[in-house]
Amino acid sequence: MKEGLPGAFSVGDELRVRTQVGDGDTVLKLESCAGEAAGETRTMEKARSSQQQPQHRINVPSNARERISRVDPYGFERPNDFDYESYEELMSEYLAILTKRTIKWSKFLKGRSHIEKSLKVKRYVRKGIPNEHRALVWMAASGAQEQMERNSHYYSSLLQAQHDPKLEDAIRTDLHRTFPDNVQFRKTAEPCLQKPLYNVLLAYGHHNKAVGYCQGMNFIAGYLLIITKDEEKSFWLMEALLSRILPDYYTPAMLGLKTDQEVLGELVRVKVPAVWQAMVENNVMWTLVVSRWFICLFIDILPVETVLRIWDCLFYEGSKIIFRVALTLIRHNQALISQARNLPDICDCFKQITRGQFVEDCHPFMQNIFKEPGSLPMATITKLRAVCRARIIAEES
Amino acid sequence: SADFLFKFLVIGNAGTGKSCLLHQFIENNFKDDSNHTIGVEFGSKIINVVNKFVKLQIWDTAGQERFRSVTRSYYRGAAGALLVYDITSRETYNALTNWLTDARMLASQNIVIILCGNKKDLDADREVTFLEASRFAQENELMFLETSALTGENVEEAFVQCARKILNKIESGELDPERMGSGIQYGDAALRQLRSPRRAQAESVQECSC
Repeated sequence: MKEGLPGAFSVGDELRVRTQVGDGDTVLKLESCAGEAAGETRTMEKARSSQQQPQHRINVPSNARERISRVDPYGFERPNDFDYESYEELMSEYLAILTKRTIKWSKFLKGRSHIEKSLKVKRYVRKGIPNEHRALVWMAASGAQEQMERNSHYYSSLLQAQHDPKLEDAIRTDLHRTFPDNVQFRKTAEPCLQKPLYNVLLAYGHHNKAVGYCQGMNFIAGYLLIITKDEEKSFWLMEALLSRILPDYYTPAMLGLKTDQEVLGELVRVKVPAVWQAMVENNVMWTLVVSRWFICLFIDILPVETVLRIWDCLFYEGSKIIFRVALTLIRHNQALISQARNLPDICDCFKQITRGQFVEDCHPFMQNIFKEPGSLPMATITKLRAVCRARIIAEES
Repeated sequence: SADFLFKFLVIGNAGTGKSCLLHQFIENNFKDDSNHTIGVEFGSKIINVVNKFVKLQIWDTAGQERFRSVTRSYYRGAAGALLVYDITSRETYNALTNWLTDARMLASQNIVIILCGNKKDLDADREVTFLEASRFAQENELMFLETSALTGENVEEAFVQCARKILNKIESGELDPERMGSGIQYGDAALRQLRSPRRAQAESVQECSC
């Protein structure tokens, strides 16, 4: 265990935490991702309980920086300027929500082998899938589970087939540049996720030759491995994302990416005209500020927990969610962005708006994405996609 | 406040160390624990060249082939470029011609390019000789340096040499900062470069954003 995990809990404390959580085991499962966090959340539980039980206080570190692990529950090292105090405050509230959600989900999933789409499930997903059920629900909602069962030896056969050396090279170039800030991806980690990452990307590149390997897919596969801890599941979730959920973002022409950037522009023109105006006045192309949002599905842009909550909805509701998130960020910060006086300013703004309390506090943020941008029918997006795609094709030819 | 503002590009294949060169130039240290670049990243620094303060606005681009169709749109109006290959990878060297064509076609025609053979510190794994690359540079009218983002060797020099050449061309009249799309801006008109050509002509006096 890392610093800040002083071993100040007794068996009794752990039991108390477990019973508090009921049948869900939120706390313990939440942490099981990286091991480190187990102590972290328990410490926080402990910190709270110590308010009622002063006799324990003597063993509790005096500040949040000491109480909280330097590595998050998914293995990411916290940045040097990480605000431990506000994180602890935020987490103490969020843990209560997670606990409640876990109990609900556990009850819902009990004895169920299949998840039918329904308003109830949609509501549950929007409120967040507890990490222990994430892989299962993502697999079910995206159809990846069904595909995996139907093609039981496919993944291993892809790995055994002869490999394209160019593909191998391209993937290898990015292996050490994928989450160097995550302890699970270090060469020295045991087990190290670099090899599974390589396998998933290689298998996918052979499976979908039109896409092969595109930078950004490594981050997505990386997250899938962190959550599922399973190569084959990660492969099938990747397949669901790239072949069914997202437009063609990753093909060599990247037409889907270029289209969706412009679609976002059109939506901003209508929904946040002040920002649209600022973009036009400063001659800023949308691609400059949002291409990473689409390509990385907010990885390395928004906080990890927030990204996962977004992905919960992405797997269930589809690519529309990306626009909801983007529009929420832009609309919520329209005063800031429309004050920018030049192109570098605008670029800075678009970085700034992906940080801070508004995005860290993932639960209210996720409630916001369904309110802030207003109504966003899929029909509108489909129509805009057709218009923008045609425009881009015309411009390029 | 700067006398001039130059738009620079850093281009070249994936994994050649473009972002590390930029980081070394701006922060004076080596950062090898970052995710690779997606799309484009920004950096800027003011340098002193022949008694002029020049603000470099540097656009660091993703190197993977398919991102070129997206990053190309940033080339317009660049005054200078670092064209980067990895001395330990012939493949990255072989790709230079393509990068060069793109830069000359899409940035300004007078773009000043310096070829950087990066990872000079990995001499034992060298696949491209100094002589070969300097011939290529000569044939294509490029300046040339071997650099190391790790040790910092020749990193500042690469940016400074490129900037100096642009200044020389301005002084000799070969380059006209007033011409739209030159990628050059007088310091007091830095904003102008960041706006569209039509607007820039319409607006005469502007504050410096340096």
